[in-house]
Amino acid sequence: MSQKSLLSASLLAAARDRLDISIPVLLVLAVLFVLLPLIPGEFILVVGTEILILGLFALSFNLIHGFMGQISFGHAAFFGLGAYTTALILQPLTAAGGLGTITFLLAILAAVPVSALGALVVGYFCVRLTGIYFAMLSMAFGELIFYVVFSWYSFTKGDDGIQGLMPPPLLKSPVVYYYFTFVVVALAAALLWRITRSPFGYTLRLLRDNPARTAFLGIDVRRVMLVNFVLAGSFAGLAGALWGPFARSVSPTLLGWAQSGVPVFMSLIGGAGYFAGPLVGSIVYTGLNSYVTRFTIYWPLTIGLVILAMVLFLPGGLLSVVDGWLKAKRRGEP
Amino acid sequence: MSDHVKSMLAGIDRRQFVVATLASGAVAVRPRLGFAQGAEPYRIGVLLPSTGTGANYSERPIKGLPLVAAEINQRGGFLGKHPIELIFRDDQTKPDVGAREARSMILNDKVKTIIGSWSSAVAMAVQEIVHEYKVLLLAATSNSSKIVNENYTPYAFLLGPNSQMQSSATVVAVARMIKEKGWKNYVTIGLDYEWGRDAQKVFVSELGQVSPETRLMREFWAKLGETDFTSYITAIMAMKPDFVFGAIAGKDNETFLQQAKPAGFFQRVAYPGVFLPVTELMQQRKTLPRGIIGLGRAPFFALMEYPLTRKYIALYQAKFGKDDWPDDFACMYFDSLYALEQIVTRTGSIETEAVRKAMTGATIETCRGNLAFRDCNNQLDCPSYLGAVVDTPDYPFPIFDPKSLIVVQGRDCWTPKTCDEVRKIQKPRA
Amino acid sequence: MSMDFGSFLIQLLSGLSRGMMLFLLSAGLSLIFGVMNILNFAHATLWLLGGYITFSLYTALATQFEPSLLLLVPAVLGSTAILFVVGWLLERFLIRRMYGRELPEQLLLTFALILIIGDLIKMIWGVQNRRIVLPIEAWPVFDSFINPYLFVIIGSGAVVATFLWWFLARTRIGKIVRAAVYSRDMVSALGIRIPTIYAMVFALGVAIAGFSAGVFLPIIPIGLGLDMDLIIQCFAVVVIGGFGSIAGTLVASLLVGIVYSFSVLIWPDGALAVIFVILVAVLIWRPYGLFGTEMRS
Repeated sequence: MSQKSLLSASLLAAARDRLDISIPVLLVLAVLFVLLPLIPGEFILVVGTEILILGLFALSFNLIHGFMGQISFGHAAFFGLGAYTTALILQPLTAAGGLGTITFLLAILAAVPVSALGALVVGYFCVRLTGIYFAMLSMAFGELIFYVVFSWYSFTKGDDGIQGLMPPPLLKSPVVYYYFTFVVVALAAALLWRITRSPFGYTLRLLRDNPARTAFLGIDVRRVMLVNFVLAGSFAGLAGALWGPFARSVSPTLLGWAQSGVPVFMSLIGGAGYFAGPLVGSIVYTGLNSYVTRFTIYWPLTIGLVILAMVLFLPGGLLSVVDGWLKAKRRGEP
Repeated sequence: MSDHVKSMLAGIDRRQFVVATLASGAVAVRPRLGFAQGAEPYRIGVLLPSTGTGANYSERPIKGLPLVAAEINQRGGFLGKHPIELIFRDDQTKPDVGAREARSMILNDKVKTIIGSWSSAVAMAVQEIVHEYKVLLLAATSNSSKIVNENYTPYAFLLGPNSQMQSSATVVAVARMIKEKGWKNYVTIGLDYEWGRDAQKVFVSELGQVSPETRLMREFWAKLGETDFTSYITAIMAMKPDFVFGAIAGKDNETFLQQAKPAGFFQRVAYPGVFLPVTELMQQRKTLPRGIIGLGRAPFFALMEYPLTRKYIALYQAKFGKDDWPDDFACMYFDSLYALEQIVTRTGSIETEAVRKAMTGATIETCRGNLAFRDCNNQLDCPSYLGAVVDTPDYPFPIFDPKSLIVVQGRDCWTPKTCDEVRKIQKPRA
Repeated sequence: MSMDFGSFLIQLLSGLSRGMMLFLLSAGLSLIFGVMNILNFAHATLWLLGGYITFSLYTALATQFEPSLLLLVPAVLGSTAILFVVGWLLERFLIRRMYGRELPEQLLLTFALILIIGDLIKMIWGVQNRRIVLPIEAWPVFDSFINPYLFVIIGSGAVVATFLWWFLARTRIGKIVRAAVYSRDMVSALGIRIPTIYAMVFALGVAIAGFSAGVFLPIIPIGLGLDMDLIIQCFAVVVIGGFGSIAGTLVASLLVGIVYSFSVLIWPDGALAVIFVILVAVLIWRPYGLFGTEMRS
C-alpha cells in the first residue's frame, strides 16, 4: 500500500508538467463556453451543444487511450447504448405530453448504468488483450452491438431510429439546453479530472508506460483496466444520453464504427497526451463539420486534407504545439 | 447504337453534376441583384446525399432542380416577385447529419421549405426539425409510410407512393399473374433494414388476403450493402419456388440483378415487382432481364400525355442533351417545386402557415396528372406503375411494356383506408 | 432443411467464391500489416479506385474490340499496374512518415485518405454506379444452374494466394521481406535498402486490391460508399486469420464464406452476424488469430 502511494507521489511530480497546461486551457474554454451564447444566432448554440456532447464522448475515450494506452475502436457502442436508453424512456413520455424536468434528469442518468453494464461485458474480454488485439476486439463487439440495435426492430425501431424526443418545457429553449449540457459536461469533466489525478489515475499511467512493472508491484492489471473501461463507457453513455433530446432523434449510426472514429480523431487532433486535448479536438472537428458543408460540396476532400496536415505536421495534437511554445518561452526567460 | 450509348454515358457527365451543384449558388445569387427592394427571395433547402450510395439516385434531382428554379425565376419567381434560391446540402445518408444540416439551413439560410431526402431514416430525423421550426418538408425519394402515418406532422408532404402503397400495388399485379400462370409457392428476399422489412411484410400480408392459397416457403434477408448475393441466389433456386418477391432497392438491387442473371435465376423463377426507377433502366439497359415485372414511381415514358412531363423532359434535355432523361426522382422533385409554386399562387402569399394550410388536401398539377394530397396525412394520391421490361425503338434503354402497363391508383392501395383510422395511428405531437 | 447432394455442392461452391472474394479483398491488407505493421483503413477505398480504373480501361478497349472476358485481362492488368504506382507514391510521400507512429495516428492518416480518394473518385467518375457487362451464360448443373464466373473468382483467388506464397517463400526479395519482419536492423546492416523493400511491399498490397476490384467488376457494380461497406469485413478476416499470416487470411476468408453460405440456408436471420460472431469467438479463444503468433504489441 505504501509502495503504491510512494509510486503515486513520484509519478505525480513527473506528470504535473504535462498536465498543467490543461488547467489554463480548461479555464479559458469554460469562459468561452459560458460566453458563447453572446454570439448572435441560434445555430451557434446548436454547434456549441454538439461540441460539448461529443467533447465529453472524446474525453471518456481518452481515459482508455491517453491514460491507459489502449485504443477502443468500438467506443460508440457505449455512446449509443446511452443514447438509446434515454430515448426509449423519453419517447413515450414526450408523446404523452407529461415530461417533467425531474423525470428527464432521471432518464439521462439511467443511461449511465446501462452503458456501464455494456462496458463491463465488453471490457471483461477486451482487457485480456492489448494493442491491436484490444482495438480489434472492441471493434468487433461494437459492430455486434450495432447489429443488435439495427435489427431488433420491435424494441429499438431498427434503422428507422427513434424520433419525437424533446427536452422538458423548462429546458426546451436552445440556450437553456446549451447551458444545461454545459453544466452536465463540466461536472462530468471535473469528475474525470479528479479520476485522472487520483492514485487510480496514476496507476493507469504506470500501466500505460510499463505494464510489467505494474504487475510486479502486485497491482491486478486486468482489474484496473476493467474498472477504467467501465468508467469510460459510463461517461460515453452520459454523453450519448444528452444527444437524443438535442438532435430530437437517435439512429443506429450513433453506434457504428464511423462514429467510433470520432473520439479517436478528436483526441489526436487536440492532443491525446493532455486531459483537455479531446475537448479542443471536438471544437476543431465539430466546427469543421458544421461549417465546411455550407461552402463546398467537396467537404470530404477539405476535411481530409485538414486531417492529413494535422497528422503530418502536428503529431502530438494542437495542445502539444501550445505546450511546446509555452515551454520554449519559459526557457527563453532568465 | 454503340455511339448512342457512348454519348449517353458522356451526357451524364460528372462535371455537369458538379457544375449544377455549384451553379445552384449562382441561381441563388443572380436574381437577388436584379429585383427591387422588398422582394424577399424564397429560399429552399435541397437535402440529398452527394456522397455514398445514395448519390447515384440523387444526381438527376440535384442537376435538374436549378433548371426548374431558373424557369420559375424567369417569370419573376413565386408570385412574380419572390425569386427562388436553392441551397444544396449533403446529408451523407446519416440521420444525425441530416438533422444538423436541416437546422443549419433553417437557422443560417432561413429556408422556408426543405426538399428531400433519399433515406427514410434521414427524412424522419428531419421531420422532427421541420415540425419544430414550422418549415415545410417535401419528400419524394424517402418513402416510409411512417412519414405520413405514425410520425405525421402537418408540415411534411409525401409526393411519391409510400412503401406500403408500393407493396400493395405489387400485390395487385402479382395476384393477376398468379391467376394467369397458376403459381403456388414463393419466397421473399429482402434487405434487412426498415424499408425492406416493411415492404416484405405488407406484400406477404396483403397477398395472403387476396390469394390465401399461395404459400410463402421462406424469407431470406441480406444485409444492406451486400456485395455477394450468390449464396442467396443458389439457395433460392434450390427451393424451386414459382416466383420470388424482392424487397431490394438502390445499388444492392443492381448487384442482385447483375449476379442473378448469369446464375440462371430468371430461367428458373419469376421475379415480379422489383423497383426499377428510370435511373436503373438506363444504367442497367444492357443486363436487365427482359420480361421481368418492374415498378416505377414516375416513369416519364408512361406519362407523355401530361404537359408537365413533356416540360420536364424539354427543360432537362435542353441542358443535358437528348441522351439523358429525368428519372423518377427528378420528376417527383420537380413536381414538388411546381406544387409549391401552384399553392403559393393560389394563396397569394409565401407565408409558410398559409401555404401549408392551402396545400393540405389540395389538388395539384403534376407530371403524373392532377393529383390530390390526402387530407389526413399529406400523402399525395399518386399511382404506382408496373410493367414488363421490354426493349423499344423509342429509347436506347428498355421501358415498361405500354401494352401491359398496370397503373394502381394511390387511393386504391393505401392503408389505412379511412382517415379516421389514419388519425388513430398518428402519434400526437406537442 | 433437407437438401440433395447437388444443391449442397452448389451452395458449397457459392460459399467458396464468397470466401475467395473476401481473400482477394483483404490479402493486400494482410500483407501490408504483416510486413510493415501499418493498418491501412483506406485499403477498400484503393480497391474501389482500382475498380473505377478497370472500368475506364475496359470501356476504352471495348470501343475498339468486341467485349469479352479476354478483353478484361488487359484492363485488370492495367489497373494492377496503376495501383502499384499509386501505392508506391503513397508510401513514398505519406505512409513512410507513419512508421513507428502509433496505431490511432495511422488510422487518422488513412481515414483522411478515404475522404480524399473518395472525393477524387467523385470528381473523375461522378456519382453513378459503374459496371462491366460480360456476356455470361448460366451453366446447367445438377438440375439447376450456376454462374460460371464463380470459377474465375475462385481461380483468381488461387492465383493471388499462390503468387504471394511463391513471392514470400521462393524469391530473394520475399526472403528479405520475411527477414525484415523479424529484424529490421539486421537486414539493414546487411546493406539492403529497407525503405525500398517497404515501398515495394506497400505498392504490392495496393496492387492486389487493384487486381481484385477488376476481377469483381463483371458481377459487382461499383459505386461511392462501397468501400465503407467492405473495409470492416476485410479487417475481420485478417484478424480471424491472424495478423501477418497470408495463409491465415486465406483460411479465415474461406471459413467465413462457407459458414455464411450455409447459414443463409439454415438460419437466414443470423447469417448477417456470422462474421462478427466468428471474430469475437476467435479473439476470445485465440487472440492472435487462427494462424497468428504474438509478434509485436
